[in-house]
Amino acid sequence: MIAFRDILIFAGLAAFAAAVIASLFPAGEVVTPVPACSDCAFKLTGGYWIRQYGNYASLYLGTREAARYGWAYRADGRPLSIGESVTCGTAMYLWVMNGVAYVSCDGSPPKFGRDVLGTAPLPIRMYFDSDDLRCSFSIRFEGDLARSETVSVYVYDEEGQLVTSATGRVPGSVSFSLPKSGVFRVHIYAPPSLDEWRTAVARVRVDHLLNAEVFASNNTDRLPYTSLKIFDLTDYWKKGYRSVTVYVNPAGQSFTLSAPAEYFADFLLAWEECRECSQRDDALYVDEVWRVTITQTAGIYTHISSQGSYRHLVYADRIIWDWPWGPWMYEHYVLHSYYIPATMCSLSPYNHDPYDCDELGEVDFARECHWG
Amino acid sequence: MWSAAYGLVALAVVAFVVLYAAAHAPSFAAVNLADQAYDAKKWLAQHLPSVFKVYERERFHGHTNVAWVQRVWATAYDYRRREWVQFPVLLPLGYRLERARGDVIYQIHLEASCRYVALPRGGPVVLYEVELMHSLDQLPWLSVYAAVPRNLTQYYNWLYSLYRALRYRPPTVGLDPRVGADVDAGLVEWTKVEWALVYDAASGTAKLYAAAPPSALYIVVEDYPLAIPLACPPR
Repeated sequence: MIAFRDILIFAGLAAFAAAVIASLFPAGEVVTPVPACSDCAFKLTGGYWIRQYGNYASLYLGTREAARYGWAYRADGRPLSIGESVTCGTAMYLWVMNGVAYVSCDGSPPKFGRDVLGTAPLPIRMYFDSDDLRCSFSIRFEGDLARSETVSVYVYDEEGQLVTSATGRVPGSVSFSLPKSGVFRVHIYAPPSLDEWRTAVARVRVDHLLNAEVFASNNTDRLPYTSLKIFDLTDYWKKGYRSVTVYVNPAGQSFTLSAPAEYFADFLLAWEECRECSQRDDALYVDEVWRVTITQTAGIYTHISSQGSYRHLVYADRIIWDWPWGPWMYEHYVLHSYYIPATMCSLSPYNHDPYDCDELGEVDFARECHWG
Repeated sequence: MWSAAYGLVALAVVAFVVLYAAAHAPSFAAVNLADQAYDAKKWLAQHLPSVFKVYERERFHGHTNVAWVQRVWATAYDYRRREWVQFPVLLPLGYRLERARGDVIYQIHLEASCRYVALPRGGPVVLYEVELMHSLDQLPWLSVYAAVPRNLTQYYNWLYSLYRALRYRPPTVGLDPRVGADVDAGLVEWTKVEWALVYDAASGTAKLYAAAPPSALYIVVEDYPLAIPLACPPR
């Protein structure tokens, strides 16, 4: 009885024999010949090469002639001289137009059409300007045009979504502002004359870190030289999360924050009042917890939690929090600036000088909006 | 057990042969240069009225996707002010257009000059001499029309209304608000004219000669579907 496996074995042996016989030929005879066509593009794998003769060009597969063309050109438009041949490594790309072949080894397509105009600058001049305070960008157009023309500016975010658009005139200017941080692609478009792409960068620079570190996700480690952990939540809100839970210490304590109504960037600041005193304690970085939401025009400091045994001071541009009893206690503090500093420190119960802090944790946020 | 192993080996050999043959078969895709050229020209035709316009010939020569225009004064009757008014209009004298689409780079350079001549068979014509440079060597769809106004006063009144609608920016003859709008409004008539393309090997440029009737406002050089209006430079 003939079983299925016998058929398989027979078919396999037959194919193997065919492959062995085919490999004895100079080039693979099993491959199909090049279809004769005009106005089409080929990808040829195997031992193909092309040679230019006096009045025609031949495409060879090994030693066998596969096709003939009127003349062979390289993809950049340079014709092959008589006797010249082209061989490619792994694959040969061939464009056949009106009986003429264009050869390329890397797949870059040939361009049809001579350059009669030459490379030319734009008929107008563009001046780019930006402002950190409101995160606004402007483009000023100048040009000796016979009459003013309309220009559209489209701004796309990292996902390719249209964020904002504006129209202006040449001569004249266009301005737009960006409500969220990110890297944006700006399309300056007035077809057919003007079609330019630029990059606009809107971000928060985190600077002057003192005993502080920035994290983009949870960090529960005990860090020896860090008393302030800064968690950057901006990307979570941009991805559309409604709320985020941040785990801050080895004990697994967490803070859950919901998405802010308006934000340019958003940070959670978790501070430990004392590095040395709690070696056996895992409940670190919960002594003073603040949220700093940076909007298009301001920085909003929001108090979340306080605990511990020392007196805490929180500075923005001034002292905004003096825990546990005052005199400065702002649960919310709004600073209208592009520069948002935050400092947290502890005072021992016997120390009454607020400029003599211990265990400083310091960070400066600076909104930066500039053309890339 | 052993025969199952042989079967697997055979299957692997078959799979190798099939995959090897499939990987070495030439793959091909159709390329339609005519469609790509058509798309490029269609895009240019759509955006031709908003092409940037410059006065200086040097500036025109230094850029792409610009039109060279000259400003002239036209006269129309303002029905509100009940008087004849003069207003500026732009005459398109040259274009440098470019659009790459797929494998095709479509570029065209046109620059018009014209003079009055008498035909050998009699009768005056305006002979447009258009300097033509083109990235593709063949122009199979080229045709040339002359735009002859039915009523010149009516035409300039229409242009004047356009001038006010554009908030006192000068309209461009033949281009504003779009190419062929004045034909659709019944103000001008496009008639085919005789033309000849003469190639000058010394300068590498071609000259397009078109014999338009003296009453023609402008001519339209059409590389279908791109229709380009060109006017006579003022003296």
